[in-house]
Order: sequence, then structure tokens, then C-alpha cells
Amino acid sequence: MSTRRPRETEQPGDRTLEVGEATALLPALRMPEERATVLRVDSVTCWFGDHCVLDRVSLEVREGEVVGIIGPGGVGKTVLVKLCTGLLEPDSGRIDVLGNELGRTGQKDRQRLRERIGLVFQNYALFDFMTVGQNVAFPMLQRGGYTAEDVATRVQERLTEVGLPKVQHLMPNELSGGMKKRVGLARANINDPELIFFDDPTAGLDPVTSSKIFNLIRLTQSHRNSTCVVISHDIDRMRPACDRYVLLYKSRVYFEGTEADAMASEDAVVHEFFRKNEGIGA
Amino acid sequence: MSGLALPLRALGGSLIEFAHTLGGLALVLGRILRALVPPRFDRDQTWLNFFKVGVKSYPIVVMTALFTGAIMVIQSGQYVKQTGATGLLGWGAGYAVLAEIGPVLIGLMFSGRVGANNTAELGTMKVTEQIDALRALAIEPINYLVVPRFLAMVVMLVLLTALGDLFALIGGALTSELILDVDWRVFFAGVIDGHLLDEFFIGLAKAAGFGASISVVSCHYGLTVSGGATGVGRAVNAAVVTSAIGIFVFDYVITYVANRFL
Repeated sequence: MSTRRPRETEQPGDRTLEVGEATALLPALRMPEERATVLRVDSVTCWFGDHCVLDRVSLEVREGEVVGIIGPGGVGKTVLVKLCTGLLEPDSGRIDVLGNELGRTGQKDRQRLRERIGLVFQNYALFDFMTVGQNVAFPMLQRGGYTAEDVATRVQERLTEVGLPKVQHLMPNELSGGMKKRVGLARANINDPELIFFDDPTAGLDPVTSSKIFNLIRLTQSHRNSTCVVISHDIDRMRPACDRYVLLYKSRVYFEGTEADAMASEDAVVHEFFRKNEGIGA
Repeated sequence: MSGLALPLRALGGSLIEFAHTLGGLALVLGRILRALVPPRFDRDQTWLNFFKVGVKSYPIVVMTALFTGAIMVIQSGQYVKQTGATGLLGWGAGYAVLAEIGPVLIGLMFSGRVGANNTAELGTMKVTEQIDALRALAIEPINYLVVPRFLAMVVMLVLLTALGDLFALIGGALTSELILDVDWRVFFAGVIDGHLLDEFFIGLAKAAGFGASISVVSCHYGLTVSGGATGVGRAVNAAVVTSAIGIFVFDYVITYVANRFL
């Protein structure tokens, strides 16, 4: 996990890439086989009462990849993200995140591990008693070791990156859904995490804002070499952002591969899922 | 047999729910104590809660206390007038207010204002995933949210009770002067001659217990909310009821211990 680019070489606040530019960076990033495994989910099962939400789910995500997790509603995508971030515990199976087995990490180790992970929540989860600026600065202030000037500069930089340079003093309830998502993204990015989870980042957003969000996800990956795991139903708008997909179906991993693999598949479920909205938003 | 099964099942369910709540409360208390030694809580949040809990609560405490003192004097007034024992007026009102009525009424008001607000706040944070967001950002919610509230409620309820005692006595003195024609100096002389310092400190000990009880109960119900806005409403309701029960249980225990050993 030590192969990340050093912070000094990054200039993320310089400008915002357009959709086409971000997509153009893809070929350089699509050689994952020789990269380190950042996330390994091994035969994980999770029950809620007498309902099996995830049944022996296994998957791997390598450094620098953007992996899309797709599947019908209620199949356990959010549960999988919560398991991978240690917010829920699996009933069986093993999850390794950034080289640490989650089930064996103590509270302190898990907290240290979480400092290296970002999570953008489906329902924003912005702290409603803080301003936007305080929300974004919060992870940095809690980690400590930064001057007030460092924090202010980084917060402004991150908010500019997500296209919201002038909202620092607003409260979350004064923002639209799309703006809240982007603030959530800025907060998740503030400490330059190595692995970021995006839980349905475009839920309830219009197509234009959705495209912007996926562009920002690609941008995050390309600027910082972060590994991204994205949950979404919006397969058409995910396409420019994701290198690979995992399809969860009936509580299990039904398909894993690139879009080309999906298109080449003879399986009706895979076909239906990947071609569902073809021509609408692609 | 089937006639008995239903009430037995209901009784069993209630017992399990009671044990579940009691276990949850013990768990929250244990985690608070663990975070206190060595101190691992957020100082900024603690100061903020001292302000929210203490400064914003004093008007309601002062009002409650003024009327409590006045009511105590009015209640005992007719007997004092009949017997002419005006010197006992300050002692009687002071004793009731400092040891019992003051801390209990202020505790109940505090539970309704601060405890209910605390449960609603934490419950809303829970259902909007803000608690999960804290954990995802490597911040322990107990250290960041719960311990500051616990400290603020314990310390501030003690201070507010002391302030309330003062205003209750002022209310009593004003009432005795204006309604019963008993000089306020006679009223305060009765309080001082009654040697009520023990009662004052017992009242403060009760306030500390009530503060701990209200904070643990309100945080427990807030952190275990499920079911959206309806769940928050249910949790607030349960927190207020359980806090009131906690206040009376603590009142009984501390009164018993004080009478037995002091």
C-alpha cells in the first residue's frame, strides 16, 4: 500500500477536469493485474434476522482501480460497503482492507485504518450542526497535526475541486442534494484516503449532476491514485468512471469483469443489467 | 394451558425487553467510564455542551425554583399562622426545598428539556447516518458525543440545583413577606438556624445522580434509535419516562443512604 504517489507531487486544486479529459486518463490506469490488492472480500455471509443479505460473497479490488458494484435494490450493496468499512460485522468470512484483516483489528488499529479510508454516504451524512467548511475540515482537525492555515487551504482546495468554492459558511440544510453529495465527496477526500467507497453517489440526482459526480470520482482516482469502490444503479453514467464491475444478484456475486466482458457474456441477467438503459444516457 | 401461555409470553417478552434496556444502559455507562480514565473525550464538544446544557437551562430552572419555594411557603403558611410558629417557616420550606423538592423538580424539568433534546439529537444523527459517518471518519461516537454530554449534564445539573436552591429560598422569602406578612429576615433566620447544610449537600448529591441517570438514559435511547422519524419520537418518549423513573430510584437510594449513614 506504500506505492501511492507522494503528496508533494499532487496539485489537485489547480483545475477541474472535464468529463472527456478524465475519461482520457483511463488507459494508463487499466493494468490492474500486477497491482497490490487493496480490498479482499472472502466468502462473506451476512444475515439480518432470518434473511440472508449476502451469501458467500468474494471479490478483490486492486490499487488504483475504480470498481462499480451494481445490482438490483435490496441485494446488499450498501451492506457490503458497511462490512468493508467495519460499520457492520459479517456472520462469516474474511475481509482484508489495505492489508489488515478487519475481524482481527482492535479498536485502535481499526481507527488508524479508517483514517486511510473514505466513505461517501448514500444520504450524505453531513453533520447538520456544522457549516459546510467545518464538515469538510472535520476529519483533518480530528487527525491533528495541521495548522489552521493548512486546514483552511485544503478545505478551500477540496471544495473548489468539487465545484463549490463559495459554500463554506452555509449550513448543510441550505444545500441541494447534488451539492450535499459533492460536499460529502470533499469531506471523504480531505485526508487523501487510499481507498474510497461511494454508496450510491447519484441517488435521486438529475442526469447532469450524476455525470458530474461520476466525473469527480474519476478525477479523485486520477489525481490521487485512490482506489474507488462505487455503488450505483446508474450504469450508463458509471461507464466513464469504472474500470470494472461486480454484479450482485440474489445475494451473491453473479458477475465480475469489465464492460466488454459483460457485453460478451451470454448470460441473460448480465445482458439485461448492462443493456437496460442502453441509448438513454450513454 | 393456552390460556396461561399468552400472559406468560407477554411477561417473558417484557422481562427480556427490560433486561435488554438495563444491559444497554450498563454498556453505555461502562463505555463512558472507560473513556473518562484516562480522559479520551473531545474538549471543544464538552465546552459546547456545558453552554448548551447549563447556560440555556438556567431561566427555566430559576422559574421552577422560584415557584417551588413560594408554593412550599404557601402550603405551610396556614399552619404557621394558626400556631404562630413563624420561625419554623424558613426551616420547613428550606428543608423540603434543599433536600427533596428542589433537586427532584429541577431534575424532572432538566430531563424534559435537556434529556429529551439529547435523545432527539442523537437519534436524528443515528437515522441520518451521522453516527456511522463519525465512525467511518475514525472518531469514536462515545468519546465525541456521549462523554461531553455526560460531563455537561452531571456538572451542570449540580450547579443548576445550587442556583435553584437559592432562588427557591428567595421565592419562599418573598412569599412569606408579601402573602403571609412574615418578615423575610425571619424566614432566612429560620433557614440558617435550621442547620440545613447537610440537606443542601444531599440535594447536590441527588442532582449529580440525576444528571448521570438522565445523560446515560438519553444517550442510550438516542444511540439505539431505529425506524426513522417515528423511531426518534418513540425514543424521546421512552427516554423521558425512563429518566423520570431513574430520578425517583436515585432519590430513594440517596435518601435511604443519607438517613441511614449520615
